[in-house]
Order: sequence, then structure tokens, then C-alpha cells
Amino acid sequence: MELGKIPLYLTNICKEIFKKENMEFKKILCYVSIIFSSIVAVIGFVSVVVSVYIGDIFVRILLVIIALLFSVLSYYSFVRLHKRKEMVGLLVFTVIVFLVAYCLPMFPPEYGLRQYDLDASILKFMMTSVILVVIGMAGASFSMKPLYDFSSKSSEASAYYILIASILLILYPLAIIIGNIISSGIGGISWEFLTQDVRRHGTQGGILPALIGSLLIMTGTALIALPLGIGSAIYLHEYAKKGIIVRVIRIAVDILQGTPSIVHGLFGLALFVPIFGISLLSGVLIMGFLTLPIIIRASEEALKSVPQNLREGSYAVGATKWQTIRRVVLPPALPGIITGGVLGLGRAAGETAPIMFTAVVFMGAGVPTTIFNPIQALPYHLLELTKYIGAYPVEQNAWATAFLLLAIVLGINAMAIIIRERYRVEF
Amino acid sequence: MPLSRMLKDRIIQNIFFIVAAFSIFIIFFIFFFLFQEAFPAFQTMGWDIFGTNWNVAKGQYGIGAAVFGTLIVTAGAMIIAIPLGIMGAIFLSELAPLKIRVILKPLIELLAGIPSIVYGFIGITLLVGYLQPSFDMLSGYSLLTGSLILGVMALPIIVSMSDDAMKAVPRQLKEASLAVGATKWQTIKKVTIPTSISGISAAVILGIGRAVGETMAVSLVLGNMMKIPIPPWDMFETTGATVTSLIAHEMGEAAGLQVNALFAGAVILFIVVAIMSISSNILQERIEKKFRGG
Repeated sequence: MELGKIPLYLTNICKEIFKKENMEFKKILCYVSIIFSSIVAVIGFVSVVVSVYIGDIFVRILLVIIALLFSVLSYYSFVRLHKRKEMVGLLVFTVIVFLVAYCLPMFPPEYGLRQYDLDASILKFMMTSVILVVIGMAGASFSMKPLYDFSSKSSEASAYYILIASILLILYPLAIIIGNIISSGIGGISWEFLTQDVRRHGTQGGILPALIGSLLIMTGTALIALPLGIGSAIYLHEYAKKGIIVRVIRIAVDILQGTPSIVHGLFGLALFVPIFGISLLSGVLIMGFLTLPIIIRASEEALKSVPQNLREGSYAVGATKWQTIRRVVLPPALPGIITGGVLGLGRAAGETAPIMFTAVVFMGAGVPTTIFNPIQALPYHLLELTKYIGAYPVEQNAWATAFLLLAIVLGINAMAIIIRERYRVEF
Repeated sequence: MPLSRMLKDRIIQNIFFIVAAFSIFIIFFIFFFLFQEAFPAFQTMGWDIFGTNWNVAKGQYGIGAAVFGTLIVTAGAMIIAIPLGIMGAIFLSELAPLKIRVILKPLIELLAGIPSIVYGFIGITLLVGYLQPSFDMLSGYSLLTGSLILGVMALPIIVSMSDDAMKAVPRQLKEASLAVGATKWQTIKKVTIPTSISGISAAVILGIGRAVGETMAVSLVLGNMMKIPIPPWDMFETTGATVTSLIAHEMGEAAGLQVNALFAGAVILFIVVAIMSISSNILQERIEKKFRGG
């Protein structure tokens, strides 16, 4: 294409736009909105380039103001177009992208992007600019819709990209959390750390009592919650007939599952601490109640997966209900029940709020001799160390504790998932 | 002989019934003991308990600011978690090939398993340090930080429950839509999501419930000042606390009426979350009935 022909093309485009039949109000608004959106996109693009090379704060502010003005204008034209749905969609999309962009570069400063001469605020500004580009393009495509009929294939493709991006964004925090905790925490794990008592407010020494305390809590929780949970599930699924009591029980289990852990903690403080004192027993009771609904739910699911004709076969040869449950229903349901139990234990190992007023102390508990002694626990230990960060040099131990806690909890959860996948019985 | 066998069966059934009824007792006990502890606060403060005066020295215990903080933090969290979670669930249930799904689903369950104290720790060590210079905050401890963390924490629940709801949509419905020439995306938009909307809303309600009740992560990264920020939507300053963070922070050193006021906060929390659990459950039952009935 020759350069000389460009004005001709432009006049042709203008003629096309200002044709008589195109002069309806709605279409003009569409064109205006497209133009504005493209300007927003272009400004976003320019400011990306500019912000990399020029660090001047005033240029950035100016660009942002101009861009905001244009986006407001294009939104206004959307409103006039009565494209409310698209408008709301675009707005929500904008907000998400903004929020997401601000928390995206969540690297700690030590190995952040500073070494490439990009400080966080420039990075943030770049994000804003990139978002402007995206908003502009999205706006343009939205306002083109009433003019030209895009094929459904193309909108499908763009939706897919957004969906894939969203799943990546969901996994991003997981990667950040696990990556950071492994890289910073694994160095602090040593034999001494695992086998010594807490010394000097956690700055030195290890976490042995906390480790033992957490194991004790888990054992106790299993002793309380497993029989109750499995029993409840068997009643609910095998014995119960539809009725008011069963409905109430189900509602109670639901409420129990949703009850915030701090509420459990306060409940323990009000009921168990006056009786048993701050002790392992109080903590275990609370944790048992907390994990009970998880176990009930999982066991019920497992019982549900056992087909009805197995039970009927057993009744047909004269077995009673209990014999049927024990010999026929429970064995194939066992992997599912174990999965639920293990998941519950994982929850018990990681919770802090229920035990912080009822069972734990930071230092000096040692290994409890009776169930009426207070204990130390890993999550509470991590909480106290986190509070000391900045005041005492506890960071090394805090990262190591976090690593250990995460390893235990995720290890337990992974075990549950593996059991479920491995021993899933198909009928 | 058959009589004794039946008797044994009867006894066992009753034992199981008592075990199952235990959940009702727990709920009843929780409510009773919380309310018993909270009652003096309601009695002394009257409606002022919902006011915004929290002054331990003067003996004023109005938890209004904390309630407001809970609302705004939860709202912020949901702006992140709801759209992202539902989009993730659509990808997981409708688009992901089986190979990817088998990996992704357990990963998201793992995300749900991370203890809240670890989120709080990460929030303090990484997120606070990043947000403070980025937004030129006084300190990184703010309602915004709390919202971000809560949003991430509510994601796995919303994703995996919405995914289950979409998976429960009968295949015939989707195939009928594809058969008349709709694209996959149109099918998702017009068939899958509208049919599973009650399951998705159940997931969202549960996610909100979790965000409202979350304690450790939030209490670490909030400024924990019992004031409503000025202007009220200012999420960047250090003011602001939630009901949970208030309890976690002050229960250790509280005495007298303050303890009762904190329990009053817990009662409100318990009631709100209980209502959410029940409504979420009703929605879920509805979707189950819908598909079983055909």
C-alpha cells in the first residue's frame, strides 16, 4: 500500500461512517464508544511504554487522569446505548482486573523486581496501563457488537481465554504460599529444631513440645470425633426415616459445619475451661466438635455410594439391619470414611482459634502428664512467633514452624485425597 | 432367639440415634453458653451494643465498628472471590480435559486445606510488605489486606462447590443444547449456569460464611482499631477491625463487661453464619430435588 493512498482510505472510512442511513443516534453512539475505547487502549499502550522509560510521576498522573476521563466517557456512552448488561459485565471485569493486578506481583522485596530497576509503584503503574489497554479493547469489542454480528465462535474463544486466566489466578496464591514457605522454611528445619524445647521466646531452640501437643490434639480429636461422626452418619443414612427429627439433625450438622472456629473457641472458654481449666481435654473436646460435621458428611457420602441391592441381598438371607451394616455396608464404605476422618484431622492440626483460649500456652508446657495439663501446639506457636516478628529475631524459626505446619497439614490432606482416589470402589 | 436378635438390633439403633442427636445438643449448648455469657452485655448496653463507641477505659462497648469492618472486608473479599471462583469452576467442570481436571481438583482442595494461621503469616511477611509501598499506606495493615487474604481463602470453597453443582447438571440438557447447534460457550451460558444457579449460590453463601467467620488470618493483617474509617469506604488506612479480630485480640486481656461484649459479638456471628448455612443447605436441597425429580 502506498503512503499516498492513506488519506483516500481515511476519507472513505469517514464517508462510510457518516452515510445517511448510519446517522441514527444509536449508531453514532456506538461509533463514539468505539473511538473512545480505542483511545483508551492506545493511551494504555503508550503509558506502558512511557512508564518503562520515564519515571516522572507527573507524566504518569496526567496519563492516568486522561485515561480515566476517556473510560468514563465510554462508560457513559454504554449507558446511553442501553447496554446495561454489558456495562455491568465490563465494570465487574474492570474491578476484578484492577484488584488482581494490584496483588499480582506479590514477591517479597528481597528478590522482587527491584533488581531490574522497577520499583513496586512503577510496576503498579504499568499494571494500570496494561489494564487500560484491556479495558479499551474490551470496550471496543462490546460496542462493536450492535454494529457487526460477531460469530459465536470468536466470543467463545475469548471467553475461554478469560476462564483459563482465572484458573491460573486461583492457583497463583497457592504457588506463592507454598513456594515461599518451602524456600524460606526448609533451611530452618534441623534435628535440633525438631528435638529441643522453646527457648528465649522462640528466638532459639526448637519446637518439640508444640509438635507433641499438636499430635496429642489430633489423637484426642480422632478418639472423640470418629465414633460420634461415623455413628451419626450410619444413623442418618441407614436407620433414619424421613421425619422432623432427622431434618433437625441435618440442620444442626449444617450449622455446626458453618460455625466459625472462634465461636467454638469462645464456647469452650465458657463451658469447658471453668470445669477442666486450660487443658488438653478442653482443646480436644472443642476440636472434636469442630471436626464432627466433616466426618459425618464424608461418611454419609461413603455410605451413599454403596448400592442398595447389596443391602437387600443381605436382608434376603435373613441378616438383621446391624449385621448388614457391619458386614456388608461398612467394608466398601471404609475408604470414604477414612478419607473423612483424615480430612478432619488435617483441620484439627491447623486450627488455632478454637484452642487459643482453651488449651494452649506459648512456653513451658512441656510434655503434658495428664489430660488436665495445658499443652503447646504448632499453630499457636506460629501465631505467637508472628506477633514477635519485628520485635525479636524470630523469623528463621517462624518460617521453619510455618513450613512444618504446612507440611503436616498438606501431607494429611494429600493422604486423604490419595486414599479416596486409590480405594474408590466402583459398583 | 429371633426375639433377642431383634432386641439387640433395636438397642443398637437407639444408640446410633443418641449419637446422631448429639449434634443438636452441641448446637444447643453453643448457643446457650454463648448467650449466657453475652446476656449481661445486652442487658447493660441495650441497643448501644451496636453503636460505634468502643472505649475500654470508659466502659463503653459498642461493637458497631467491628460489624461494619466485617461487612466491608467480606464485601471486598467477595468482589475477588465470586467472579474468579465461578469462572474457575466453569473451566474446571466444563472445559478442562480429564487429565488436567484430575490434577486441578486436588490442588484446589489442597488450597482449602492450608491453615488460616499460615495465610495470616504469609499476609504479614509478604502481602503487608508489598502493599505498603505500592499504595503508599501508613502501614500495610488495613482492611484491604484483610479483604485480599479472605478473598483467596474463600476461593476454594466457591470453586469446588460450584464445580459440583455444574457437574450435577444432567448431560442430556447440555447435549440437547449442543444438538440444536449452540456452541459450547452458549451452552454454558444459557443452559449449564442457569440450571445450576441454586448450587452456585449455595457455594457463594458458604464462601461468604467462611469469610465472615475467619479469624486468625484476618486478625493478624488488620490494623485492629475500633473505628469506622473516614470516609467509610477507605480501605487503605490502618483503622478498622472485624468482629472476629476484635475477639481474638481482646479476649486474652479482657475483664468484666468487656468479656460479655465480646461474647455478644460471638452470638451475632453465630446467628448470622447459622442463617447462611441453613439457606445454603436449602438451596442445595432444591437443586438435588430438581434433578432427581427429572
